Amino acid sequence: MAMNTPVRRPGGGLWRALRGSRKATAGAVILLLFAVMAAFPGLFTSVRDANALDFAPRLGPSTRHLLGTTALGQDIWSQLVYGTRQSLVIALVAGFLATVLSVLVGVSAAYLGGLLDDLLSMLINVVLVIPAFPLIIILAKYAGRGSLTVMLTVLVVTGWSYGANQMRAQALSLRNRDFLEAARVRGERRSYVIVAEVLPTMTSLIVANFMGAALYSVLSAAGLQFLGLGDPNSASWGTMLYWAQNQQALQTGSPLWSLAPGLCVALLGASFALINHAFDEIGNPALRPVRRRGAAPAAAAPPVDSAASDAQSEDSPLLRVSGLRVAYQGARGPVEAVAGVDLTVRRGQFTAVVGESGCGKSTLLFAIAGLLSAPAAVTAGSVLFRGDNLVTMTEKQLNALRWRDYSVVMQSAMNALNPVRTIGAQYRDAMRAHGTFTAEQVRARSVEVLELVGIDPVHLRSYPHQLSGGMRQRAMIAMALLFTPDLVIMDEPTSALDVVAQRSLMVQIKELQQLLGFAVLFVTHDMSLVRHFSDQLLVMYAGQVVEAGPTRTVFDTPAHPYSRGLLEAFPSVRGPRVELRGITGSPPDLARPPHGCRFAPRCPVVEERCREWEPELYPVGEVRARCLLQAPDRRTRPLPPVEATS
Amino acid sequence: MRHLLRRLGFFLLTLWAALTLNFLIPRFMPGSPVTALHDRTRGKVSAAALEQMLTSFGFRPHQNIGSQYLQYLGNMVTGHWGLSIGQTLGEPVTTLIGQALPWTLGLVGTATVLAFLLGTLIGVLAGWRRGGRLDTVLPPVFVVTSALPYFWVALLLILVFSVWTGGLLPSDFNYDNTIVPGFSPGFVGSVLQHAVLPGATLLITSIGGWILTMRNNMITVLAEDYVRMGRAKGLSNRRIMYDYAARNAILPNLSGFAMSLGFVISGAILVEYVFNYPGLGYLLYNAVQNVDYPLMQALFMLFTVAVLAAVLVCDLATLWLDPRARAKG
Amino acid sequence: MTAETAGAAGTAGTTAATGTHGPADTAARPALLETVGLTRHFRVGGGLSRRTLHAVDDVSLVIHDREIVALVGESGSGKSTLARLLAQVYRPTGGEIRYQGRSLATLRGRRAQLAYRSDVPMVFQDPFSSLNPAYRVSHGILRGLALHRPGLGRAERRAEAERVVEAVGLAPAAEILDRYPHELSGGQRQRIGFAQALAYRPRLILADEPVSMLDVSIRIGLLNVMTQLREREGVSILYITHDIASARYVADRLLVMYGGHVVESGPTEAVLTAPRHPYTQLLLSAVPDPRAPLEVDAAAARSDPPAVIDPAPGCRFRARCPLAVDACHALTPRLRELGPAHAAACHVAEADAPSPRASAAPA
Repeated sequence: MAMNTPVRRPGGGLWRALRGSRKATAGAVILLLFAVMAAFPGLFTSVRDANALDFAPRLGPSTRHLLGTTALGQDIWSQLVYGTRQSLVIALVAGFLATVLSVLVGVSAAYLGGLLDDLLSMLINVVLVIPAFPLIIILAKYAGRGSLTVMLTVLVVTGWSYGANQMRAQALSLRNRDFLEAARVRGERRSYVIVAEVLPTMTSLIVANFMGAALYSVLSAAGLQFLGLGDPNSASWGTMLYWAQNQQALQTGSPLWSLAPGLCVALLGASFALINHAFDEIGNPALRPVRRRGAAPAAAAPPVDSAASDAQSEDSPLLRVSGLRVAYQGARGPVEAVAGVDLTVRRGQFTAVVGESGCGKSTLLFAIAGLLSAPAAVTAGSVLFRGDNLVTMTEKQLNALRWRDYSVVMQSAMNALNPVRTIGAQYRDAMRAHGTFTAEQVRARSVEVLELVGIDPVHLRSYPHQLSGGMRQRAMIAMALLFTPDLVIMDEPTSALDVVAQRSLMVQIKELQQLLGFAVLFVTHDMSLVRHFSDQLLVMYAGQVVEAGPTRTVFDTPAHPYSRGLLEAFPSVRGPRVELRGITGSPPDLARPPHGCRFAPRCPVVEERCREWEPELYPVGEVRARCLLQAPDRRTRPLPPVEATS
Repeated sequence: MRHLLRRLGFFLLTLWAALTLNFLIPRFMPGSPVTALHDRTRGKVSAAALEQMLTSFGFRPHQNIGSQYLQYLGNMVTGHWGLSIGQTLGEPVTTLIGQALPWTLGLVGTATVLAFLLGTLIGVLAGWRRGGRLDTVLPPVFVVTSALPYFWVALLLILVFSVWTGGLLPSDFNYDNTIVPGFSPGFVGSVLQHAVLPGATLLITSIGGWILTMRNNMITVLAEDYVRMGRAKGLSNRRIMYDYAARNAILPNLSGFAMSLGFVISGAILVEYVFNYPGLGYLLYNAVQNVDYPLMQALFMLFTVAVLAAVLVCDLATLWLDPRARAKG
Repeated sequence: MTAETAGAAGTAGTTAATGTHGPADTAARPALLETVGLTRHFRVGGGLSRRTLHAVDDVSLVIHDREIVALVGESGSGKSTLARLLAQVYRPTGGEIRYQGRSLATLRGRRAQLAYRSDVPMVFQDPFSSLNPAYRVSHGILRGLALHRPGLGRAERRAEAERVVEAVGLAPAAEILDRYPHELSGGQRQRIGFAQALAYRPRLILADEPVSMLDVSIRIGLLNVMTQLREREGVSILYITHDIASARYVADRLLVMYGGHVVESGPTEAVLTAPRHPYTQLLLSAVPDPRAPLEVDAAAARSDPPAVIDPAPGCRFRARCPLAVDACHALTPRLRELGPAHAAACHVAEADAPSPRASAAPA
């Protein structure tokens, strides 16, 4: 399942996501309140000139003076109200200009590339490293007190670089997106590509950056004014703080003079930070808050299979999965990715599970291995491994079995091997987790398994990125054999490789299996790949096994229309050119599986009752098929003829 | 090799840019330093002596600007930073900085490193127990704390722990100046006491950022196949959390650490100002207030060098922790 | 999600055309697009260690009118670089591309460039990244129409967009056009990719692995779209793929690339039934085939990627080749005619013999 996650579409989706975020709502409410205050200060106070020394000094809070008066005799509340405008203007204007500069520099650096990118990113980094606040202080001092323009300029000049860095990184990652290349190949001008194709996809980052720059401006401006580097006569929160500090407000019993404007700065800053954070979560949904499910998956007691009691007998299967169900808790309710799967693996048997993307084959695999993580969880069924139910085991009990008795090989070793540890260290981790071994024992065994897969043992000291794709994959298989387990679970271990490498790895896996006698549970989307390697084949569709049986029989006489469709979709390089058929339509949405047979909407031999009755797995000779046409009462009627496949 | 050369070039370029800014700002701003200084000293020092002082930081109005610039660069690099022309008139800048530096290093350095370590650790735990109590409560709280103004947190702490409690914790200067400095228990205790509030201010305002970024990095890394592989291998949670997840999640934070030092410096200036803590930030504030060019220049250069040093340390740490970066170097 | 099934073309579930295209009667026709010694090198590393990656080296090929040519190779063979050279994303390091007899290097001005781009559009590999997520799927088609057929008015553009969407088997067209990319399945998006190309009234579509990221059951539908476009719209297609078996079902001719070189070219059936180059033989033996018995080739066990960074002269396949002779280490083999319109770049391959033998070493 190596599907790329699509870029999130801004617009309607963005707006909906924002409204759903409590953080964004809180931030927006605060911001709105301040905006009203800045626009209509008269609504909040009757005092017309908040800086005039009209009142008695150091009054406490009262109905007349909500927050009391300053040591100089000004009403603190009305000073706050009038100060809102300047703080907000500084935040919005400086934030806006800095963001524009970030986008301009960051995106052009990434998009134009080459020498220009080198120069611009150097510039970004230099500005980023030069300490901004001391520079602001010095500039503000030299430029003379009070000028708002100077303060804005200084804030923009020092505040754009952080955003530019992020914009550049994002634009660089977009550069390889095909839709930009498509626009270029279409003949669009560069300026059009940047403005109309790149920028719209960066909306959430740009907004987040604006919020960040506004936050930076609010805090820096307040800090400057607090230090006395602003206009001492202006109406702003920072200036209030300056005078309060100047008059020792804290020590002389009027703490509100100091605390209230500070709180306003903090609130305004927090509102920007909250909205910024909400946009981060929209850009990366993984960061959003999750709620723990009430019941831990393992705690739910699934129905115990009757076979469990006599499981320890001699001819019992190595692995028996019964009625296994896995659900993902989604926003729109649970999605059942595995809907009641039974399967059995005997010792030394090679069992293949095939199906297309989204059919639940990888989820099934991870459920069997006990490696599901939230929001996926086993909701029913059992996984009996040598008679013990893995589903009800604790992590600790599972850890005793893992790797010693069953191991896992994943799709891409590049992702499955820890990039910062050597191959040897990762082997050592696995061994030491299951017993006490001397360094010599660890090394000897590591060398042994590496040689088994034909890799020079010097690579124990290599990091994963130093090996070629095929070698990494083999190194991972070697790791899975450290303890020569009874069962090796493989999730598309060859699909990242080229055809030739893929074939040679398959041959090697088969040889190792015959040499060491372990059983294999092999998941793949490529049915043709396992034709010559597996003993048993399961075809999955929409979370269910639709056909199961000996590999040869399924290939020669597929009993389910879906397996037949899959087989007929594979082009062949040898022999006569047989007719190729695809399967119409696409797999169903598992949140709302179709009524009756799940394959009915795409089935070429569908009947009326298929849409009403849910088929079970019916035995058809050596295989079992989930198709009403194979139901015992229908046996008399022959199936439509199958295309000759020789 | 190429990568290292690039980094070296970047360090030199940044330093040069900072020094040049420093050189240009006073010269492009209105007003002559000599007359300003003359006014402030109220004629007690002769004009010739004043000019002599100013030349020490490269101010030679009669020379051409090019040779002034070269002389200035030479002086800055070789540590000839001249004499203070502010409140501490005539003191060598190196002496002033030498007195203030240990206090800032001790206070700000400790608080920053502590915030980084503690924040990273809490972030690791929050991300690891995704959906747990820590993970639910922390993000919104620390989004807000990381947006708080330094000086306001400082004022709040002073109010609560000093004013309201009748001076439970000191809020002024770096030690009780009735005690003679030395390695006596009383003096050390006083220094520590005086560091509590400013240190706490820095910790509170900067820890949130580390917690949040580390949590986010952890969440991203925990979705990686190699973490699931660690589980599949039956490794202990501890090993997966540290050697597989956190070890990878911390890499992006290292470069973030160096970049955030700029914010730390702005915090240091404001906090030292509020607490009258005689460190480099306070020194800069005074230098600016008194138009003390030589001191300002030296301090600004020092801050830039500090950030660059942090960048260098983080570069080295990244090289040490990430074999892929090593291959590039 | 049944939009793929209906529509005038009704393609998805239908049978792939078999045997509608004859073998090599192409030589007599004039070339639509032709490359002569086309070469593209990339600088890798940098600074002191300047090395050159030979992505495409000395490739000469011809594509005729109404012809589907499959370009087959593994990752790193240079097939995608070649497509991007033809699409003028990259500039060639050497050699030239001739379109309708005219060298692309002589194209001057934006108008001439646009004219070429509208005649030779490209379809991309990844259906999840080839449409801009910020826009409705109509965006690319309408932009293309506005650029390449400026005579059309707004309503005409819309009508034409609906026509091309129907032509690739998507219905109802008006509704599909107003959807966002994430609301379509992978197969549907890839059809939109072809509809975009079709909107320009192209002569040649460069299709870069258009089906390799789709599920098997959906691939056939797309392959059928290609053959139908050739029949109904009269376009030629360069079908780039790593899947030699699928090439068999659409292509008139096959080109096999290895390490930046074209190592074999010829009519599809001729290449598949009698491959001359040892690499083509290895590739064919490795293709998983549910209908054929297993052939495990000893040579298949070695699968090092071709060395194309600063390659020494000689055959680039020699390290993996079971038949390598001395000449393979010294001389880079050139394409030699070994049968009717069938050529291979191999010193050892013999003319009109089913497989090469190690005895002969011409050149």
